[in-house]
Order: sequence, then structure tokens, then C-alpha cells
Amino acid sequence: MIPRRDAIQRLSLLLGGVLSTQLTAGLLGEVLNTGSSIEVSPAQVKLLADAADTIIPDTDTPGAKAAGVEQFIVRVMRDCYVREEQAKFYDGLAKLDDASRKAHTRGFSDLDAAQRKELMALTAKTDKPFFRQLRELTIAGYFTSEIGATKALAYLPIPGRFEGDIPLTPGQKAWAL
Amino acid sequence: MANLNIDSIKELTYDAIVIGSGVSGGWAAKELTEKGLRVLMLERGKPLEHVTGYENALKAPWELKYNGKLTTEQIESHPKLARDYPYNEMTEKYWFKDSDSLYREVQRFDWYRPNIVGGKSIMWGRQSYRLSDIDFEANLRDGIAVDWPIRYADLAPWYSYAEKFAGISGEKLGLPQLPDGEFLPPMEMYFLEKEVRKRIEKNFPGRVMTIGRVANLSKAGEAQLGVGRGPCQYRNRCSWGCPFGAYFSTQSSTLPAAANTGRLTLRPDSVVTEITYDDATQRATGVRVRDAVTLEDREYFANIVFICASTISSTALLMHSTSARFPSGLGNDSDQLGRNLMDHHFRTGAAGRWEGGLDRYYYGRRANGIYIPRYRNLNGDQRDYVRGFGFQGGASRGNWQRGVAELSFGEELKNELTEPGEWTMGLGGFGETLPYSDNRMWLDKTTRDKWGIPVVVFDAGLRDNEKKMRVDMANDAAEMLTAAGLKDVATHDKGSALGMAIHEMGTARMGRDPKTSIYNAHNQLHTVPNVFGTDGACMTSTGCVNPSLTFMALTARAADFAVEELKKGNI
Repeated sequence: MIPRRDAIQRLSLLLGGVLSTQLTAGLLGEVLNTGSSIEVSPAQVKLLADAADTIIPDTDTPGAKAAGVEQFIVRVMRDCYVREEQAKFYDGLAKLDDASRKAHTRGFSDLDAAQRKELMALTAKTDKPFFRQLRELTIAGYFTSEIGATKALAYLPIPGRFEGDIPLTPGQKAWAL
Repeated sequence: MANLNIDSIKELTYDAIVIGSGVSGGWAAKELTEKGLRVLMLERGKPLEHVTGYENALKAPWELKYNGKLTTEQIESHPKLARDYPYNEMTEKYWFKDSDSLYREVQRFDWYRPNIVGGKSIMWGRQSYRLSDIDFEANLRDGIAVDWPIRYADLAPWYSYAEKFAGISGEKLGLPQLPDGEFLPPMEMYFLEKEVRKRIEKNFPGRVMTIGRVANLSKAGEAQLGVGRGPCQYRNRCSWGCPFGAYFSTQSSTLPAAANTGRLTLRPDSVVTEITYDDATQRATGVRVRDAVTLEDREYFANIVFICASTISSTALLMHSTSARFPSGLGNDSDQLGRNLMDHHFRTGAAGRWEGGLDRYYYGRRANGIYIPRYRNLNGDQRDYVRGFGFQGGASRGNWQRGVAELSFGEELKNELTEPGEWTMGLGGFGETLPYSDNRMWLDKTTRDKWGIPVVVFDAGLRDNEKKMRVDMANDAAEMLTAAGLKDVATHDKGSALGMAIHEMGTARMGRDPKTSIYNAHNQLHTVPNVFGTDGACMTSTGCVNPSLTFMALTARAADFAVEELKKGNI
């Protein structure tokens, strides 16, 4: 019996603790923050959705926004990060929008894909902690969502058989589970 | 009125009462009913219907409310259960709430108590191995505790009997320390496991790596199809309950077999508070039961009582069944009741990454890993501790989590993470824990749970022998993986409290001498011949293999003996 919790812990351990403590807790549904939380406005949620969609965009499969990743991030931020960490994260998000207004006189959500990408690349340099956090949360939220698991990855509800050692066909997607 | 009383006693009288409906209780009910006895099986947990009761079994991960996670409320209501993985959103309703499962710890003990018909047979890990004479002779050889009153030859035919019905998939190896069984076809290894197996067996003569022996039907035989079971679908959702009946559980296997005889009465929500004893006949007369919901008390009568409530609950029940003859608990002339509490210790080992094999993959989710049978303190090997350990583990290919540390984003990141990552492999040891007479449990009669039962207190921990063994468990794993060619091999030891492996054993050991043990060679109380105990409580030592298959074999053997004794008029 090696359910998800153990698998995640084992993998984190194996790879030298790649996932942050907070995200691991978030994936496990644990609540680390028992204090107060920052109120998130609909405008912030929309901005977050567009930022996440820049990390994992629509390609031949839907991206982070289509998968509702912003809801995952809002929940994990609220439940697993203390108020100061939340403040830092949403401050980072606000700065991304500010940078957009300065460079393009428009908010981040109103930019085209190329402009968003450019600004995100800049943020990766100017505000690395925010970028890393956004990226980490987006990846985890996306690949554990229905769209991420069934469209970007391959999900078999009932495999019906097991073959342990077969060739990987070129372009084959990784199993979601 | 007199006649009415006799009639109502008749109605409450069975040939045998089985307390508990898990792995052992299910087997007791099956064997006793198939041998012609009218059996009452009592289960303190709630009903759980096969197939329809497994509400989450067919759900996709994202269909679950919290994606399988615990909420703050669940963590707060289950501070002990939430300590480790078996308790989660999908299995929540299978376990007792901590507030209904009160116990005290002098030393930490993780007590996982199911609250359902079927007990832990629903959520068990399904790894199924035989003990060997190396295990049965160990206490005698080492001068530790007492000698097992049985040897492998006594149990071997019953292992075969249990395996043929339960359906165990595995590979024959011909090893003395891990006897072969009646196996269904073995599951296949992954590419990397095959590579590592070759290299371990080449570099470490005497060490063997095999696929896990597991109670999942790699192929359904007649015995299994006969009770409505189908082959494994490789969903790896076993502990949520299997709608295909593809792994052994009470519901999939022993319950339908017992029910088919027409001689089984199953009563859930029935907390047995006491085994009743008659001084005149020196026999148990039956049990007192408190309805878990209405708290109404009832009494049932039988010629034979099988205690299969799982290690801790069975011993607590014996302790709570006092009389003038047995003031410290039924059958406890030896003062051994509650002593020698054991569990396997684990959560230490090593893991590493493999370069290459990127063109190899797999299909389906194998609910099984690999197994490296014990090799320490065997064949002339001698360590600074006694007994040994086996390794469980497996290989996998990296998933999306591997990409988290990088800085890329956008299409390139997405495309990369949708492909499988590199191979990794890990090994984790499962070690034997010795029987220590002061590793024990007892009842705190001043504190009672909501059913009025005194709560259990635990005071048991790992000692020097286990701690020394753990050093080998980590280092050997790393040494084998390194020799097999894995890179960046790292050891880990996450610590192991007793109870965590959910292989709790001992506290009412079998033995040859009534002065030093509770049960005899037939799992019969030395001093009350119509009472039998066949769950983990009877274990005289633990060996290092997963114990459920041994409980099945012991139960079938004891049931056979009990019915013979009944026929002979001895009980």
C-alpha cells in the first residue's frame, strides 16, 4: 500500500525535497495556516489565472486557465501559507501587473501572449522568489486537474491489464497516475 | 414462562461465535460454517456492502472533493490516525474516529482501527508471505521469549489451503527462508527492476529479488470465480475497496463462501464487551454484546468462541473478561496477556536514479512492488543483532514533479513535463521486532470509551536489536542500489513507531507451557478449551514478512481442530 501521500513524500525525498513544504502540504490537503488570510479579489483571481496561463499555456491541449489552476493556487495559498507569505506572493502578482502598466500602459491580462511571455521572463529575473512560487503552484495545480491529467497526460480509469516492460512510443504522453 | 426462556436462549445460541470479521474472523466464519456449524459473526464496526459500499472506488482523483486530502476538521478529529497515510479522504469512513477510539500512550503507538465489516481486510497491503522454520525455531535458537509450539510442517498444508482460496500471485524461488506457495502467475517487473535484479543477484550471491507475492488475482481461478471474484484490473485503488473483487478481502472472498452455506449470521454494530465463563463447566458460555448504536446489551451463547478482533482488541477483550477463576483476564494464568507487543519496524532504506532506459515504459498500474527476502543472519552471515529484514520497493519513472526546480516556463515546460521522466528506484526495509515482556499494553479501568469499555494503554518501543538492524536496512539498500548501477543513491530513516506498519502482533502468545503462554499449538486457550484466538495476538515472534497469510493459515488450521474436538466431545 503506497498511496499518494507516501509516494509524494518518497519522491520529494528521492529528489532532494524538490517540492516546497507548503506545496506538499497543499497537495495533501493539509492546513498549515491556522491564522488569518488575505482577502483575494475577483480581479486578483483573474490576474492570477492569466499569469498561471503564461506558465502553462494552451498548446495542442488546454492550459492552466482552462484547468482552473487559479482556484488551486488560491486554496493552497490560503490553507498552507501564513499571512506574511501570502502577502509577499500577492504583492509579487501586483508588481507583475504594475510592470505591465509601465511597459505597455495596460494590465497584464490585456497583453497579448508574446508580451506576457516577455514580461514573465523579466519577472523570472527581477522577482525570482515570486516567479518560482507561481511556477511551482501552477505546475502542481495543472497536472493534478482533470484537464492536466487527461489531456496533457494520459489517464486510464481501468487499465484492465498490466505490462511491466514495453517500448515507449515516440511522443507518448506520461501516465497521469 | 420457563419454556419461553428456553426458546429465547435457543434463539440466541449458535454452534460457534466469531468475534471480528477481518482477515482472521472471515476465515473462521468460512471454515466453521463449511464444516456444518451454525455461526454468529460479530463485528463492532458498521456494515459495508461489497461493491456498492465502495463509494469512492471508481472515482477519478479530481472527482474527489479534496483531491484525496484531509480537511482541517478531519485532522482535528483524527489527531492520531492523521499521523500517517492509511487515513485519507477515500478511506475515511472505513476507520474509527479518534474520539471513538480512545487510547493512551506511555510511548507512542499508532493504532489503526477499522470501523467496518471486513476490518482491515479492505485496506490491507495484500503482501502475502509464508513464515519458515527459520522463524518458527528462532526463539528457541536465540533463547528469546518462548519457543513456538508449532513448526513449518504443521502450517505448510494450511498455507497451501489458504493460498488456493485467497489467490496469491507470485514467483517460486526455492528459498528456505521464504517457502514457496501455490501461486497465480507473477506480475511483471518494470524495465529497471529487471536490470537491478540481475545486478543484485550477480553482485551479492545469496540475495534474491523477486516480484511481490500479493493477494491480487493476476488470473481468477475456479475457487475465486466461484465466489464472484474477477481478475485484477490494475487500477491500484485497492484500499478504496475493489468493485471487481480482485483482491482478497472478507467481502470478496470469505463472507460469500460462509454466506453460501446458509449457516452464517452476521451482526455488525456489535461490540463484544465480555466473553462469559462458567466456573462449573470451566468453559466459555458465549459473549455479552453492546449494540454500538443503541447501547443495548444482549447475550449470545455458543459451544465455541473464536476471538479474531485483531491483536489489540482481542487482548483487551480477554483482559476485560474477568471472573473469580480468571481475575486478570480470561486464560491469563501466565500473566503473559498484554506482554510481548510487537510490530514490524520500517521506513528506512535508500533510493537512487538510473541513467538510461528512457525508451522503456509500462501499461497499467501495478498494485505491487518488488521483494528482497531476508538474507541477514543466514547461511553463516552474522551481524551485531539477531533476526533480519526483507526489502520492499520498486522502480518508477519521474512525473511532472521533477520539473519544479527549473526556471523554464511556457510551451517548452509543458511539453517536457508531459513526457515521462527518468527512472528511479527505492528499497525500504521491513524488520523483525523481538518479543520483549515489558513491551506491553494494559487496560486503564478508570477511563472508558463511549461503549463503557476501559481504554487501552500502550508502553512499547524499539530496542537496541531493532536499532542496530535499522543501520543495515539503510546501508544495505544503498549498497545494493549502488552496485546495481544507480546514481545519487541516498539513504533515509524516517523513524518507525510501533503500530505504524499495522502488523501489530503478540500480547497473547502461543506456547507449549500454560505457565508461560496463553494459547497452545492449536490456538486454543490452555485453560479454556472452547476458546480460540487466531489473529496477530497469538504470534510468538514476528518474522520479517507481512503476517496476514499466516493468520489465514492459523485460523483454518484451528477451525479444523476445533470442529474435530467438538465431534469427539472434547469441547
